[in-house]
Amino acid sequence: MPHSHVIWHGVPRVKTAPAENSLPLGAATPIDIPSLADVLRGRAAERPNDAGYVFLPDRGGERTQLTYGDLYARARAVALRLAEHGRRGDRAALLFPPGLDFVVAFFGCLLAGVIAVPMMIPRRDSKRDASAAILADCSPRFAITCRDLIEIARPDLGERLSSVGIEWVFVDPTPADPSHPNGALPAIERADIAFLQYTSGSTSTPKGVIVSHDNLLHNLEMIRLAFGNTDRSTHVSWVPYYHDMGLILVILQSLYIGALCVLMAPVSFMQRPLSWLRAIHEYRAEIAGGPNFAFDLCVRRHRPEQMQGIDLSCWKLAYNGAEPVRAETIERFASTFARYGFAANSVHPAYGLAEATLLVSSGQRGDGPVTAAVSRDGLRHHKVVCSTQGDDVQQVVGCGRPLTGERLAIVDPESRQRLGARLIGEIWVAGPHVAQGYWGNPEATNAVLKAVIDGEAALPWLRTGDLGFLDEDNELYITGRIKDLIIIRGVNHYPQDIENTVQDCHPALRRHCGAAFSVLDQNNEEQLVVVQEVERAYRQQVAIGEITGAIREAITREHDIAPREIVLLRTGTLPQTTSGKIQRNLTKQIFSAGSLENLQ
Amino acid sequence: MYGAAGSAVPAWCLLVPEIPSESEIRNWCIKYLARTLDVSEQKIDPDAEFARLGLDSANSLYLIVELEEWLGIELTTEVIFEYPSIAALARHLARRPAGEDSAR
Repeated sequence: MPHSHVIWHGVPRVKTAPAENSLPLGAATPIDIPSLADVLRGRAAERPNDAGYVFLPDRGGERTQLTYGDLYARARAVALRLAEHGRRGDRAALLFPPGLDFVVAFFGCLLAGVIAVPMMIPRRDSKRDASAAILADCSPRFAITCRDLIEIARPDLGERLSSVGIEWVFVDPTPADPSHPNGALPAIERADIAFLQYTSGSTSTPKGVIVSHDNLLHNLEMIRLAFGNTDRSTHVSWVPYYHDMGLILVILQSLYIGALCVLMAPVSFMQRPLSWLRAIHEYRAEIAGGPNFAFDLCVRRHRPEQMQGIDLSCWKLAYNGAEPVRAETIERFASTFARYGFAANSVHPAYGLAEATLLVSSGQRGDGPVTAAVSRDGLRHHKVVCSTQGDDVQQVVGCGRPLTGERLAIVDPESRQRLGARLIGEIWVAGPHVAQGYWGNPEATNAVLKAVIDGEAALPWLRTGDLGFLDEDNELYITGRIKDLIIIRGVNHYPQDIENTVQDCHPALRRHCGAAFSVLDQNNEEQLVVVQEVERAYRQQVAIGEITGAIREAITREHDIAPREIVLLRTGTLPQTTSGKIQRNLTKQIFSAGSLENLQ
Repeated sequence: MYGAAGSAVPAWCLLVPEIPSESEIRNWCIKYLARTLDVSEQKIDPDAEFARLGLDSANSLYLIVELEEWLGIELTTEVIFEYPSIAALARHLARRPAGEDSAR
């Protein structure tokens, strides 16, 4: 397809695709944009001098910004280098400290047709992290970063990747000469892979979701429609770029709608959450959000004297996603910040996952949150029962409705039959935003992305592994999950990784005889619990306190979470199936009932 | 807030008045961490490394922020890596001349 330098006014032009048999919903599809690379070209041609991205450094530093013209010129310089040394379809690992260089590198990959792999910078003191397995899984030809990171801050990283034959590419701090010859970059098409999202799968067996330009453009359009975004929808965010929310909802959606995107470092927010609110005020931002814990943190760190002069009436959409949305959090946040002009109907719970590019359900801008009072006991038995009885009432928050052009079904995970309204089952999703596969992993692709509902026409469905129900208004409520996954502060942790860390940290601990899971604390937040068997021979020799100390330290260092409770068991008392598989759910039930016999 | 580093004032003049003592800072940290980590104060060993106590990076940041607010000073995020136990951190903060950690 030849390049067309599409010039847009405001948002990209949208045509409604004709109804097809496979997708009879009348999907609204931006069918005339070939790729996200073309969106950038369009912005650079149309508004070269407008600021697209701003980065706010921590106290005292200087703000940096990227105009669309600079972004395109610098990204093109990266792309030309990639094209010179590699081939279309090669992978490039992206390792960046917070800042705007990541944005340059990401678009450099898109322009060159090189598959971007955004990664978290591996921690220095971590023995085992996801990065090695991710690199082995997608075998990148390049690693892109800024020079300072490798030459000054982390020379260990430079050596580590060079030693496995990965070629480093540095992002130049200044825009390239715009007169550089033009023809070297390929035309990118909708079916081309844009990037791999490695947020699924455990550390030992990571799964890279393949996200195509087609997936991206469809989901970006779904987000635009649900959020009611325009080129005035300035976004202020601290969510990291290697998190799908930080990349797609923040960085890419902003370019797609042509609105200013203001970024800050995650650590700036964690230390001074009110600085996020101040930035929203200063930039008159319409959009800002994050995982549920971010709103709790703002309430906890609220100091009236630090909020002077802040007016949050500009904030139209405070999305809350990536971990369970709590009714108490929403209420506390809205009532605390109402005096600064925050409107309660700006609260915008949403649900999504990387396998669907990002967003799966959302309300419309200004809807405000919907909650339902249901029976706690009923939920435990996967039933939705209205409740008004004190202790038994659980407020569940709706995460919006299915998006335009998407299908969403609640399915019995065992029989694979579709379930009706107010019945709890697994959430299944179909649509043009659902990824075609996991990188180099046909088994996982078939199991997760190609499911079929019993008795219905074959349509590949995504099994989300999350449990929920739809009410009569098609509002989606998330009630739990069947996949073994622990979510703490918006970060996914896999139990088997934590169990391995535990069993490696002390010789007294029996291999394959431990279980990690999460329970809800009094604030309804997930907390990690570790249950582990101790070798018989060690029971008399080693102090229990030393073992639990070693476990706590290893989990903190390797996974950066603090276990709330560590239970040590006698040999042979952890629930297992007859074939020796660990029964995490049963262990959790026995733990919650207080019936585990702790050695301590 | 305080004199800038490199000014003509001698360093001893910049000591913060009425800075809490080392043992006060230590006790404050023990109480704070016991509450945060939901364990009894007896279980918080002031000589243990923070990771041994189960202090992850988010809770480390919160500890720094609370200390900043209590002591009225600014700290860098690295302070916890340089002084990785309650005892070491309390010793450092009690002897800290003003301005030392506030450079960003």
